[in-house]
Amino acid sequence: MASHPKEERMSTTPPLLIENLSFRYRSRSELALKNINLRVEAGQVLLIAGASGCGKTTLARCINGLIPRSYKGELTGRILIQGQDIRAISLARISQLIGTVLQDPERQILGTKVLNEVAFGLENLQLSRKEILQRVDAALERLKISHLRERETFHLSGGEKQKVALAGVLAMQPSLLMLDEPLASLDPASAQETLDIVRQLADEGMTILLIEHRVEDVLRIAPEQTIYMTGGEIRYFGPTAGLEEAVDYSEIKLPAEKIIQRAARTRPTPPPPPRLTGRSTTSSRPLVRFENVSFGYETERSVLQGINLSIHPGEIVAILGPNGAGKTTLVKHAIGLLKPKSGKVWIDEQDTHSLSVAQIAGQLGYVFQSPSHMLFAPTVREELSFGPTNLNHKPEAIAQQVQEALQIVNMSGMENIAPLSLSFGQQKRVSIAAILAMRSRILVMDEPTAGQDYRNYMQFMDAIMQMPNFDAILFITHDVDMAVIYATRVLLVNNGQIVADGSPAEVLSDFDRLRANRVVPTSLLLANLQRRGQLQSFKRAEELALETTH
Amino acid sequence: MLVTWRYRKRNSIIQSFDPRAWILFFVCFLASTLFFWDLRYLAFFFGLAIFVAFRSGIAWKEMRRAWLFIIGFVLFFALLTFLTGRGGIELYKEEHDLAVLKAGFDILGWQPTLRITAERTMFAFSMIARVSSIAMMTILIPYSLNPALYGVTFRGLGFSDKIAYAMDLTMRFIPTFGRDFTQTMDAQRARGYELDKVRGGLLDQVRRLAPLVVPVTIHALSGSEDIIDAMDLRAFGVGPRTWLDELKYTRRDYALIAFGILMVALSLTLAMWGYGKFWVPDFLLALAH
Repeated sequence: MASHPKEERMSTTPPLLIENLSFRYRSRSELALKNINLRVEAGQVLLIAGASGCGKTTLARCINGLIPRSYKGELTGRILIQGQDIRAISLARISQLIGTVLQDPERQILGTKVLNEVAFGLENLQLSRKEILQRVDAALERLKISHLRERETFHLSGGEKQKVALAGVLAMQPSLLMLDEPLASLDPASAQETLDIVRQLADEGMTILLIEHRVEDVLRIAPEQTIYMTGGEIRYFGPTAGLEEAVDYSEIKLPAEKIIQRAARTRPTPPPPPRLTGRSTTSSRPLVRFENVSFGYETERSVLQGINLSIHPGEIVAILGPNGAGKTTLVKHAIGLLKPKSGKVWIDEQDTHSLSVAQIAGQLGYVFQSPSHMLFAPTVREELSFGPTNLNHKPEAIAQQVQEALQIVNMSGMENIAPLSLSFGQQKRVSIAAILAMRSRILVMDEPTAGQDYRNYMQFMDAIMQMPNFDAILFITHDVDMAVIYATRVLLVNNGQIVADGSPAEVLSDFDRLRANRVVPTSLLLANLQRRGQLQSFKRAEELALETTH
Repeated sequence: MLVTWRYRKRNSIIQSFDPRAWILFFVCFLASTLFFWDLRYLAFFFGLAIFVAFRSGIAWKEMRRAWLFIIGFVLFFALLTFLTGRGGIELYKEEHDLAVLKAGFDILGWQPTLRITAERTMFAFSMIARVSSIAMMTILIPYSLNPALYGVTFRGLGFSDKIAYAMDLTMRFIPTFGRDFTQTMDAQRARGYELDKVRGGLLDQVRRLAPLVVPVTIHALSGSEDIIDAMDLRAFGVGPRTWLDELKYTRRDYALIAFGILMVALSLTLAMWGYGKFWVPDFLLALAH
C-alpha cells in the first residue's frame, strides 16, 4: 500500500535540524555559538554536556525561540522544527512544538496552585475550560502526580516542583521536549525519577534534548546521542557510547568503572589526600555542639526535632538527605541565623543565643546555596574583601587572603571583573572564595557543587581540603560521590532528624537505609564497596585504578 | 519562585463575598473615607474597619507584625504632625492654645516651644482614625483573597488579560521581595555585616547599604527575566486567553457593591453640601485660653 505523501514527509523530516548556527549576544564581542550542526530523530534522547559557559543554554534559547525574540543578537544559520524554520513561526506555535523546562523549576513555576500552573500554557492558547481540564488531568496522570492537583506549588518538594513544571509543558503536547539541567537541585531519588520519566517519554515517541552536568546519572537511561560542547562549539556529536572515549574523564563525570579502566592505562598522578584527614580527635573539645535542638518556622510543624550532634576538629562532614529534610535549617543554626526553639547550639562552648551572627562568622564561614543573594560589589576583589574587612582583618592580610581564595576556586586574574557579569557557575565560585577569604576555622558549604561542571568543582574541592586554616569542614550535598571522596563522617538527615551518623563506610553501605532516605548508591560507591577488603578508606576512581594496578 | 501572602480559607466576612465584589467595596470605602476630616464621620469608617478586622478570621499572631507596623506608622506620623503643627494647616486657619510648653533653655537664641492647640489635637485624632481605617481595610486583603484568583479577579473587574496577570504578579512580588531581602540579609550577616553598625553621613550610609540593596535589586530583575521567559515559553500574550477559574456573583455580592456605591454617593453628597469638614468640638475650644 502506498504511503500518504504527508506521512512520508513526516517520517523523513527530523523533529530538529540545525544547520550552520552561530550566535553572538548584542552586548558581547565574541560568538556564543559557532557553526552548530545537528540532527535529532524522533524518539531519541540527545544529551548535551559541557562545562559552565560552553554555550549549552544559548543553544537551548536558540532552539526554543527566546533567541532572537527575548535575547537580542546576531543569529546566522537556521533551525528547523518539524521542517519549519522557527524564525518564520510565532512563539505561540513554537511553544506547542517545543516544551522547555528551565534549569530551576522554582524559576519556571508561575501558578500558585498545581492545577493553575499546569493549565497556564493551555489558558494562553485559549482552549475551552473542558479541554484544559482534560489535558491537565492527562499530564498529571502521565507523571503520576494527580494527587498534587489541588496543592499549593510553594509547598511542594524540589522533585515535585520539577514534575509539576514538566507537566505544565507536557500538557501543551509538544513533539520536542528540552530540559535545561533538570537534575541540578534534586536529591538523587528525585533525579532518578525524573530521568525515568524522560526515558519513558522518549520511548513513547517524543524527542528529548537534555542539557545536564550530571552525565553519569543521565547515562543510566542510555541517551541515543550525545553532544559535548566547549567554547560555543560542538567537540563531539555522536552515539553516547563514543563519548566515553572522546572526552577526558576529568572533564565530565563518567561511571567509576570506566574511569578506573582508563586511569589504569594512563596512570594519572593521584590527588593529594585531604589535609584534615587523620586529625580527627573525637575526644577533643567539640567545635560545634547541638544539644537536643528543635526548631519550627511555624508552631504547627517542626523542621528539626531533638538534634544532638558534635563536630570535632579534623572532621570533614557530609550531610545527605532528601529535599526539604531540614539540612539547611540545621546548618543555619550553627551560624546563629536561626536560634533553636528548644535546646542549645554551642560554638566553641559559647551559646549561639549570646552571640551575634557577625561574631560567629569569625569562626564559622557559611557558603549559601545561591550566590545571587550575596554578590554586590563592583569587582571580584572588593567582593572577596568584604567579609575580612567586616571582621577587621588587616589590609595587607586581606590582599593575600583574596589572592589565595581566588587561586583555590581557579579564578586568578579575574580580580577586576564585576561578579554580577559572570556565569552562574563562576558566581558560585566567587561566593565560595568570598567565604574562604574570611579564614574562618570552620567551613560550612550548602550544595557547593550544584550547577557546577565536574572539572571545576573537583578542582576547588581538592584545593579547599588542602587549606591549612580549617579545623573542620561541613558540606550539604546531593552528590553521594562528594561524601565518598572527601568526607570522614556522613550524616543522613530526614524529617528533621539525624537518621544515620558515622563513617562513610558505615553510613553508605546500608543501601536499604539510603534508599529509604532518597539517596541512591553511585557507581563510585559500588566500586569502593566491592574493593572494601583491600582499602582502608573510600577513594576516588583514579585512586582505585592505581590500587588495582599495584 | 514567587511566594504568596499567608492566605488560607477562613470563616471570614471578606471571604464570604466574591473577591471582585470585595475589591469594589474596598475602593468605595477608600474613596468615601477620603471625603472627610470630621472625626464623627470618620468614626463610622473606623468602626466599620474594626468590625471587618474582627470578623476577618485572622488571628492576631498571624498579622502581629503587620498590625504593629501600622500602629507604629500611624502613631509616629500623628505625633509628628501634632508636635510640628504641620500637616493640618490647610484645614484650619487659626489655632486655640490649650497649653504652651517652653523649654528652660535656648539654642542660638531660639527657645524650643511646644504649642498644644485644640486644632492640632483634633487633627491628630482625625488622622489616626482616617489612616488606620484605610490601612486596616488594605492589610486584610492579601490575607483574605485567594492568590490563585488574583488574575481572574482583576480580569473580572475589566482589566485586560495582560494587565490582570501583571497585577496578579505584582501582588505576589511584595512577599517575594520580603523573602529575598531576608535571604540577602542572612547571607551578608554571615559575612560579618551588621546593619546597625552602618554609620557616617547620608551618602556614606547609602553606600554601605549596597550589600543589601544591590543583591535584592539584581535578584528582583533576574527573577522578572525568568518570569518573562517562563511566560513567553508558554505562549502568554499571543492572544486572548481562557481563565480556568470562574467567578460568579451572588445576590449578597450585588448587595455589597450597592452598599459601597451608596456609601460613596452619600459621602460625595455630604461633602458637596459642606458636611464632614475638619471639626473641633466646642468643649475643647472652651478649654482654650
